[in-house]
Amino acid sequence: MDTKLPLIIINNVDFTYPNGTLALKKINLNVYKGESIGIMGMNGAGKTTLIRTLNGLIRPSNGNIYLGGKNIKTESIGKLSQIVGIIFQNPNHQVFSNTVEEEIKFSLKSLNLNKEEIQNRTSNILNTFNLDKYKERSPLNLSGGETKKLALASIFCRNPEILVFDEPTLGQDAKEINFFVDLINKEKDRGKTIIIVTHNIEFALEYIPRTILMAKGMIIADGPTKKILTNEFLISKSSLTLPQIRQFNLELNKIGIQCPDDINSKSEMTAFLMNYFKNKSTKVQGESN
Amino acid sequence: MSLELLNAFRFQKKNTLVHNLDPRAKLLFSLIYSIAALLFTEIVPLLLIFLTLIPLILLGRMTKEWIKSVRGLSFLILLIIIFNTFFLSLSYAIAMILRICIMITAFSIFFLTVHPNELALSLISMKVPYPYAFSFSLAFRFVPTIAMEAQNILDAQQSRGYEMQQKGLINQIKNLFPLLVPLIVCSIKRAFNVAEALESRAFGSTNDRSFYYTIKYTFKDWLFTIYLLIFLAVVIYVRIQFNFMPELLHFALPV
Repeated sequence: MDTKLPLIIINNVDFTYPNGTLALKKINLNVYKGESIGIMGMNGAGKTTLIRTLNGLIRPSNGNIYLGGKNIKTESIGKLSQIVGIIFQNPNHQVFSNTVEEEIKFSLKSLNLNKEEIQNRTSNILNTFNLDKYKERSPLNLSGGETKKLALASIFCRNPEILVFDEPTLGQDAKEINFFVDLINKEKDRGKTIIIVTHNIEFALEYIPRTILMAKGMIIADGPTKKILTNEFLISKSSLTLPQIRQFNLELNKIGIQCPDDINSKSEMTAFLMNYFKNKSTKVQGESN
Repeated sequence: MSLELLNAFRFQKKNTLVHNLDPRAKLLFSLIYSIAALLFTEIVPLLLIFLTLIPLILLGRMTKEWIKSVRGLSFLILLIIIFNTFFLSLSYAIAMILRICIMITAFSIFFLTVHPNELALSLISMKVPYPYAFSFSLAFRFVPTIAMEAQNILDAQQSRGYEMQQKGLINQIKNLFPLLVPLIVCSIKRAFNVAEALESRAFGSTNDRSFYYTIKYTFKDWLFTIYLLIFLAVVIYVRIQFNFMPELLHFALPV
């Protein structure tokens, strides 16, 4: 039994929008410090609504949310966003300053830091995100990928304990996704708790150890990503597709190559096939001799 | 903070007498009620005009949305009370609040009951060129999208420590920039995207076009129009003869 207290406790949370749509139904979830979790499910399943409750952008109609053992019911959004940093899907929704540098400084102003500290943090974050060469440029003139980086930087500079990403890989090229993966790996090493809302099943399978699957405002599965994302029943319930490696596995089974169900990565599949064809050729050689 | 107020001007499909009226009749209704509201600065006539709107709200089953639109004006109402009471009188302040309520209610009834397609059709029937009528109805159709976008922008800014409430008028105005700049930029980008999508579907390639839906002025629309014209005539008459009207219409608060 785990004796640690979870960092996030979501207890029986319901949420209904003013138009009457029940977006969250009896949500119960524990997230431990340093954990990385993925939230997946079909459009309209309640994923984004769930993450919006974490920093008080929306308040549950019923139930309670605890951060570090403290009920967030009476906490302001300003205070909660110091602990929970949410990076939204569309980076264009937040850029407005004259320069990239000012955009970062805007995020730091509410933290009551002195001028020197603000300048230091701004320089460091621009450097980390390779944005220093654009610091005098208008954020409105950046490319899509750079604007996304700026949106990430403007939350990372606040150093929140919990980082929440809404569709971080959407519209990103391979280089940008690799940059993002490096970034979250570094944050994981620093003990940060990471929550990623994504539809990218291959990304989840490779980088996220625990997955929460949602449908119609409810959590329908919670467990190891490899186990959940290879379960055909759960995948069809959530309007997702099986990972390519699992589809390949099923195709092999169809043509008579009995592939074990627990193969979920390219390296495992390569090892299995190498072994399979090695055995097969040994057998053929034996028969011809 | 929520931008729910804009939903009070969003079309809602219902099968009521008000919804089924021709959009041209409803446009005439909004204009006549706005003119009527502008003709008076006294409490009683404005209150009477306002009372004539209540049956329409009830018939159109839109009480909830109407209350939302008036509630959204609470800040403006407060400002009107403060400024007018200090510089003029409380009676004048109440009259101005009634005037704004009448105008907002009239246009709220129009927007809540007219579908954007019907709006374009009614403008075309009034000989407005199609590209202009289409642009107008498109702008009208995008109100809920912009409201949703404004809410997303507010959420994104609040997630990095932005706070709506600031001390002092100048700070409050400055504080609108983090919301307005992204909203304007996103709206302009969307406008370009829509224009490109329309052009790629040959928008404006021919002057003669057919319409899948048509609108027709029926008997009930004529009846409503006659009522509106009589109402306007009565209101104008009362305005002209106001000095000879019963004392009750001249009622003002003692302060």
